[in-house]
Amino acid sequence: MRKIRLIGRLDIKGPNLIKGIHLEGLRVIGSPSEYSLRYYNEGIDELIYMDCVASLYGRNSLGEMVKNVAQNVFVPLTVGGGIRSVEDATHLLRCGADKVAINTAAVANPNLITEVAKKFGSQCMVLSIEAKQIAPGRWEAYTDNGREKTGLDVVEWVKKGVALGAGEILLTSVDQEGTQKGFDVDLIKAITSEISVPVIASGGMGKPEDLVSAVKVGEADAIAMAHILHYNKFSLQEIRKVAKRAGIDVREL
Amino acid sequence: MMIPEATIIDYGIGNLLSVSRALEHCGAKVTITDNPEIILSSTRVVLPGVGAFGNGMKELENRGLDKVIKQYASSGKNLIGICLGMQLLFDSSEEFGATRGLSLIPGKVIQIPDKTLNGESLKIPHIGWNGLFGPNENSTQWNEKILATVLPGESAYFVHSFMANPINEEDVKAVCFYGGNKVTALVGKGNIVGCQFHPEKSGEVGIKILKQFLLN
Amino acid sequence: MKKRDVIGQYKLPLEVKYCKKCTISNQRPRITFDENGVCSACNFAEYKQTKIDWKQREEELIALCNKYRKNNGEYDVIVPCSGGKDGSFVAHQLKYKYGMNPLTVTWAPLKATEIGRRNLDAFIQSGFDNILGTPNGKVTRQLTHLAFKHLGDPFQPFIYGQTNFPLHMAIKYNVSLIMYGENGEVEYGGDMKNAFRPDRDIQDHDKHYFSGFPPSFWAEHGISEADLKPFMAPAYKDIVANNTQIHFFGYYKFWDPQENFYYCTEHTGFTPNTERSEGTYSKYASLDDRIDGYHYYLGFIKFGIGRTTSDAAHEIRDGKITREEGIALIKRYDGEFPKKHFQEFLDYCSITEEEFNEVVDSWRSDHLWEKVNGEWQLKHAIWKE
Repeated sequence: MRKIRLIGRLDIKGPNLIKGIHLEGLRVIGSPSEYSLRYYNEGIDELIYMDCVASLYGRNSLGEMVKNVAQNVFVPLTVGGGIRSVEDATHLLRCGADKVAINTAAVANPNLITEVAKKFGSQCMVLSIEAKQIAPGRWEAYTDNGREKTGLDVVEWVKKGVALGAGEILLTSVDQEGTQKGFDVDLIKAITSEISVPVIASGGMGKPEDLVSAVKVGEADAIAMAHILHYNKFSLQEIRKVAKRAGIDVREL
Repeated sequence: MMIPEATIIDYGIGNLLSVSRALEHCGAKVTITDNPEIILSSTRVVLPGVGAFGNGMKELENRGLDKVIKQYASSGKNLIGICLGMQLLFDSSEEFGATRGLSLIPGKVIQIPDKTLNGESLKIPHIGWNGLFGPNENSTQWNEKILATVLPGESAYFVHSFMANPINEEDVKAVCFYGGNKVTALVGKGNIVGCQFHPEKSGEVGIKILKQFLLN
Repeated sequence: MKKRDVIGQYKLPLEVKYCKKCTISNQRPRITFDENGVCSACNFAEYKQTKIDWKQREEELIALCNKYRKNNGEYDVIVPCSGGKDGSFVAHQLKYKYGMNPLTVTWAPLKATEIGRRNLDAFIQSGFDNILGTPNGKVTRQLTHLAFKHLGDPFQPFIYGQTNFPLHMAIKYNVSLIMYGENGEVEYGGDMKNAFRPDRDIQDHDKHYFSGFPPSFWAEHGISEADLKPFMAPAYKDIVANNTQIHFFGYYKFWDPQENFYYCTEHTGFTPNTERSEGTYSKYASLDDRIDGYHYYLGFIKFGIGRTTSDAAHEIRDGKITREEGIALIKRYDGEFPKKHFQEFLDYCSITEEEFNEVVDSWRSDHLWEKVNGEWQLKHAIWKE
């Protein structure tokens, strides 16, 4: 059986690794390549680089940074933020990204999902979702780093995205992210029970135990971690141990 | 000691930079090219690839590289296909209708089953880390040089929706298990090796495999 | 409706110029630009970042606290707050780091938002005494209506009340020290005369915050002295007798509103809004009143400076975003009409949409605005420079 992946999520602004709360705030943590290398050496399964303000500022600029990190980090790299066309995706993949994550542009033009999937395979096309709860059991999709409402129901939008060719979902809870209060397990479950592509749960991990419910109840296929790693709250080793103790199959090192 | 060389075939798709960086990290001098002469005169060739089988074959054919690869393979020098590159080594694929491959290893590329052995639904694509094991229950060691420094059970990174189904069992050198289904992970036939997983993305396990490739 | 003399009233320069470093223009009342085209707020920011000995300033704060601390269960400092990130930061620091006993005072928003009320509650729950001053609702509406019509800013009465309430509470509770967050004039570009001192004189209130109408004006419109009293400052002699001192925490501690946000999410239960405020990209600033959008909107009409411009300007000075990024945000959001609560606002002020537009247009100065294809446009928007 494939193992649950432990993914390091780095929110990037310009040259810096940053960390916000509820997708607000631009506090600088440090150098993305330094943190990436550290996580690689500690045994991270994958990395996600999100230029979280690209759509908000109407730009994209991660190519150089991706080339840099691809130098000495030999695990899969998903890159997102401001990808608006197949050309943008091609550029990032040639810089060293393995998968591209798209949110804002996909909402504006869902056909982009199909175009990217057709050219690079659906496993390359990660649909990124910023989900905000609007009622029990219902979430609305946001874009532009949690600034613009779309009016789209997250579950319906994800289903549509998968039908269009998305091979993986990066599911970020706006309500939980940056709070360290645990994942929005209901949100994860609502998505995993409707689609059959892998789902990466993102937003809210405060302690290693949080991933247990995300995987066992939410049925997430992968866990994205940011705050907990960037602020050195727990080591990857500890997190892996907790997962194993709970009977979750993770990569052995 | 001589610096090992490796030539990566550039046919317009695939994550060339990662493969190149990983090989350089292992100490190789890497050339990325679509030039037939350079490819044919190389000591070691890598066929990378990401994406759709049909698109991959089209890009190779457009550059005349399908013939070049077949010619190179017949020279007996080492060739490794990675992910889509591995799939292209076979006769054909089911993806988006039937498409012809390079026919360097007999077999077809078929869809990964979308059900576990217990009949539960299985997520496609197969994405993530999965353990590498010998093809038979009883195998205690690998029958392939490239895996010499890998321990059975160590994980590599897979991301694919289709899998190779070689006609000859002895061409299967390593498998992984997905939902209980056996999935071909590594194939080998003479001088040709194919990795379904991405050694350049499989952390230290992948690096070990690439180093072995460079030794041969 | 007669066109207002915006230039004369606010003493605005005729030619629009933008600061070379941030996004603010010379149309912000009282701001000055140096010979390099850099605004006073940016120059102050640089000074703040490079020349101030913050250890020394903290020592001054400790000495100040030692002087005013009562140690007998009585309040020893008044902290004006709204439940937002700035006041909460000040209150928390004073109480839990510097051992003071603050009374936090809040002047009720005209129409409280859910998130604003939640943040205020969370703040109180995190460990603070709070007094909420709510003025006569009927009077407030009348004043808001009049302020909108005659001053072009519905928020003026609120600002009166908010500024003076702490003075009332200080006298009532025998507390001399009032601690604000930042000195807005100094941090955001205005009268710089208090840039190098921790406090300000009490008379200065009238100069900066009151747009010049005397009580008699209000009386003419049916607002009695009693109605106005809660909004007005206490008698000056009482302020003096109480030995009232207004200090700014921003003098003693490096002021960074975004860091206040992070601090408050950790310590006072603050949560930002999940959507951005209308007219800006920010989710953590000024969240508590459904009507304050119209104050910012009128600011945009009068000065060409919308909420995004101000938010971006200080984030640029604080090093959070670049000027280029700020301009991209301004182009996208500045001047966005706050339509979410528009009907509510019209009802609150008892005016029609036509009356609203008439008032708004009367504040559109020709030196800033022109009509292009039937649409109002800024002549000198920053992204056109």
